[in-house]
Amino acid sequence: MAQSEGPTPGRIGTTWTPSGEVARPTWGWILQAVSGALVLVLVTLHMIANHFVVAGGLRDFADVVAYLSDPVVVVLEVCFLVVVTWHGLLGLRAVLFDFGFSPRAETAITRVFAVLGVAIVAYGLWLTWTITSYH
Amino acid sequence: MNASADPAYDTHATADTGHPIRLRVFRCRAGDRSGHFDEFRIEVAPDTTVLDALVAIRTRLDPTLVLRHSCFHASCGTCGMRVNDREVMACVTKVLELGTPTVKVEPIANQALLGDLATDMVDFYARFNAIGRSLMRESEWLPDASRPAGVESYNRFESCIECGLCLSACPVVASDPRYLGPAALAAAERAIDEPRGLDPGAVLALIDDPQGAWRCHAAFECSEACPSAVDPAGAIMALRRRAASGRLRSLLGGRHA
Amino acid sequence: MSEQSVVKRGTEGASPRRRGIAGWGDPRGRRLGGWAFILNRLTGLGVLAYLFLHLIVLSLLARGPSAWDGFVSIAASPLFLCFDVVLIFGLLFHGLNGIRVTLVGFGLVVDRQRAMFVALMIIGAIALVVAAIHIFTVG
Repeated sequence: MAQSEGPTPGRIGTTWTPSGEVARPTWGWILQAVSGALVLVLVTLHMIANHFVVAGGLRDFADVVAYLSDPVVVVLEVCFLVVVTWHGLLGLRAVLFDFGFSPRAETAITRVFAVLGVAIVAYGLWLTWTITSYH
Repeated sequence: MNASADPAYDTHATADTGHPIRLRVFRCRAGDRSGHFDEFRIEVAPDTTVLDALVAIRTRLDPTLVLRHSCFHASCGTCGMRVNDREVMACVTKVLELGTPTVKVEPIANQALLGDLATDMVDFYARFNAIGRSLMRESEWLPDASRPAGVESYNRFESCIECGLCLSACPVVASDPRYLGPAALAAAERAIDEPRGLDPGAVLALIDDPQGAWRCHAAFECSEACPSAVDPAGAIMALRRRAASGRLRSLLGGRHA
Repeated sequence: MSEQSVVKRGTEGASPRRRGIAGWGDPRGRRLGGWAFILNRLTGLGVLAYLFLHLIVLSLLARGPSAWDGFVSIAASPLFLCFDVVLIFGLLFHGLNGIRVTLVGFGLVVDRQRAMFVALMIIGAIALVVAAIHIFTVG
């Protein structure tokens, strides 16, 4: 039987590296957990305040204006929007990261979602302002 | 291919042999575009294992069946397969205990295929190299185990038998080629817990990455599949606790431990 | 066949045959934690889709009372209410399983995570029934 030269070195000895050359500590999952905990509290408040203490389960326009006239309510609803948008987009980012795109693609996804998140919150602020200043 | 075995020549014959079973075995060779299933009709005894059945098939029905095995007692990690869609060691999985008239046998998932039931484990092993895995552990010895004359001390090997069942079961490994995976992450946790000359800080820095310990989604399928009580999911969560508390400490301005 | 060609094929390595999304969603052979994973993913994506829908619908408020009150009148239809119950299920499952994922993901309660999951799901089932009754009797 012919003598084999053994396994090609370099392939067996390949060292796996996670994100290119250097590992990058990430806050993504921790923020996901923290925002999730906040969403749990705020979505419960939001659902109760908007559906479960309201006659008929849904506010009509006049009720909405009255609801948003309380500054505490506005602050809580804006906080809710920020936190739920953040958590939701972090989650979608996590699903995309599960396809193992390149580190550059991962960075691009993070940036696009950051912009999208800011846009959504900006929209929410604009909408709140528009409703409360309706005459 | 369909084939049956003549029970008169059944080399696994015991008093209670002769339970008919159908095995659907995955077949695929280098160059095939896709695989197919071959069905084998054989008769088994209550203690016939899937590996026994496959070896009998290869011996008497189809010598071209490719499979790997070694120790026959779930220690070497060679015969890992997907049987009825679950990751198992074929050598300790009894055919009749599966409870189905047809048993489906496939190679472990998420690895390159060499042929039929044998996968190329190179990708799997490569993940360990970054960790600098060790083979021996010092914890959990049995201090009161009696030693025979001439034996000064016992060595205990690390639990992981490198069978690849965890990577086959993991939903993230299924879609993500860059995820480090349960086996290597469990090795990393062991390396940090018992460094034995390795730099635990370097190992922790390596796995503190979106494609390291943070990619896991707590499905725990790896720990369910593991035949050797490694609990890779528990190890991954322990790694996260280390990474998170380290992050918190540095955030609060503490010195590195 | 020579030794060398076998060794070479092994070390060059074909690319791994991954299960892909089937590894996420295939129900066969799945265990409890695997179900938790796929349902968490589906409810998360579902609730996110609902968030976008909800934000778009809320733009009716910017168009004044007639636009919004018109929407309110159709939002009480039985189809809508059923959809609301599905939404509540999604929120409850994702939130309660999220408690498990968060605790476990920080290395806490890992050894009893299956029991914790079952307990949380029981709480969720009770909450879902209460919410559904409220939605269909009051809403």
